Amino acid sequence: MYAIETRGLAKIYRGRIGRPAAPSLDALDLTVGSNEIFGFLGQNGAGKTTTIKVLCGLIRQTRGTAAVCGIDVRRREARQSLGYLPENPYFYEYLTPRETINFYGQIGGLGAKERERQWGSISELLDLREIAGQRVRGFSKGMRQRLGFAVALVGDPAVLILDEPMSGLDPLGRRRIRELMLHLRTQGKTVFFSSHVLGDVEQICDRVAILSKGRLVVQGRVDELLSRRVTHVEVIASGLPETVDSEIAATAVSSRNSEEGRHFVLPDLARANDAVRRVHAAGASLVEFSPVRESLEDYFLRLQERKP
Amino acid sequence: MRIAAVAMNTFREAVRDKVLYVLLFFAGATILGSKALGWVSVGQDEKIIIDISLAATSLFGVLIAVFVGTSLVYKEIDKRTIYTILSRPMWRYEFVLGKYLGLAMLIGVVTLVMAAMAAAYIAVMGGHVGLTYLQAVLLIYCQLLLVTALSVLLSSLTSPILGAMIVFSCYVLGHATGIMINMPPRFDGTFVKSAFETAYYVIPNLSHFNIRAEAANGATVPGTYVLWTMAYGAAYTALLLVLAAFSFENKDV
Repeated sequence: MYAIETRGLAKIYRGRIGRPAAPSLDALDLTVGSNEIFGFLGQNGAGKTTTIKVLCGLIRQTRGTAAVCGIDVRRREARQSLGYLPENPYFYEYLTPRETINFYGQIGGLGAKERERQWGSISELLDLREIAGQRVRGFSKGMRQRLGFAVALVGDPAVLILDEPMSGLDPLGRRRIRELMLHLRTQGKTVFFSSHVLGDVEQICDRVAILSKGRLVVQGRVDELLSRRVTHVEVIASGLPETVDSEIAATAVSSRNSEEGRHFVLPDLARANDAVRRVHAAGASLVEFSPVRESLEDYFLRLQERKP
Repeated sequence: MRIAAVAMNTFREAVRDKVLYVLLFFAGATILGSKALGWVSVGQDEKIIIDISLAATSLFGVLIAVFVGTSLVYKEIDKRTIYTILSRPMWRYEFVLGKYLGLAMLIGVVTLVMAAMAAAYIAVMGGHVGLTYLQAVLLIYCQLLLVTALSVLLSSLTSPILGAMIVFSCYVLGHATGIMINMPPRFDGTFVKSAFETAYYVIPNLSHFNIRAEAANGATVPGTYVLWTMAYGAAYTALLLVLAAFSFENKDV
């Protein structure tokens, strides 16, 4: 049984009078296994949030099916095993984090003792204790995001659906969220999240899916999707005689001066190795030799360029 | 428990709304100011104070029901607080009912405070309030519950401004049902007559809830009348809440 599964999922929002309806999502087949960290990628308007809203029961699909832990998302029980963090989460401003967690525990059907127990574990995990008594009104973006995460964890759901959890956070905040997701995987949870920060996705995701204009372009393991071929090699050398410099520059894609010496970008490993041989033969120093492989960002951009 | 949690949260939110205190201040000022009209109506002080106090309780209660009620669900969608709530394992009708009950609780407290304030003022002025006064307050509250239900229904369908306009129109027409069914003969066969006749059968007759004159004059109102009027209000309120829950069930948020 998949943690999340959609078959032919489509959502068409009603257009304004006289205007055609706009398909936001079309024939989406998606499978997310248990205990995976799954990245859901796409440009703005690709249909990521629409998919997430369908999965969370906030909107109804026009066609197709969607299930969380094998239960149709149109059924209330599907939300029993689901925790949701919306993009830029909003909470009641007049409540404190402790009251907020208590409120969501109540509407999740948890008893008083269980709510107290969950507050203990969640507040510790997300460092909420020091701000437990402060009203949400004065919270920074990072604090709100932490509280949003805490709310998603209330009820100990098996599947977490996070919409742009790193959006607007500073590097420290993003790192914290990444670590949290990895920690949740060790706890046996499934984390499904959308993001624009492809570096973060590449670092932590087991699998990804890429959407474009409401349609699934590709899904699979990150290491399988990326060819991992070397796209180019960066070579830096110092003390190069002018003639050798010119010879290497003639085979390079580009060359420039840097603080450490001459910086060459070679198109492949063969030419890079040849350049290194010339550097050594001339008695110059090799400062750096870096083969650069395709990143998820390169792959994503390549896909976007390919699509009409 | 889920309904109670939403209700308590709604109550708490509304209690912290400054608008509530502004309305309560004006309600108090109106009740205290009723003495001024008493002076110009020789020997009628007590009647005038009771009448105006009950009218103020009703009017300010309606203002709260309309202004808070019509934005109740809409605000949750607009501020996106609803996302994290409806993604929980709760029925949507539980949310609507919880919001309604929270506001009903608030209006109950406000009605009680205004009625108690007026009763204390009347006592200070040397008068007294009897059973009919309490019956009048009870029926005002029943009417406010009905108006609140209509506000909550519209809150899940349309914007607060349009919703408030519709509720106010229904409130005014609800107090003028006699006019709607007794249109002058020159309107016979016209669209206006059929529209008003339809409205007569659809819009609740709110004048049933008005026994201010009886309370002011110390007249007796039969208990059965109060019970039947309450049942009439409860039936309309239940119907409106069912419609609100139904309209919200498949709404995209």
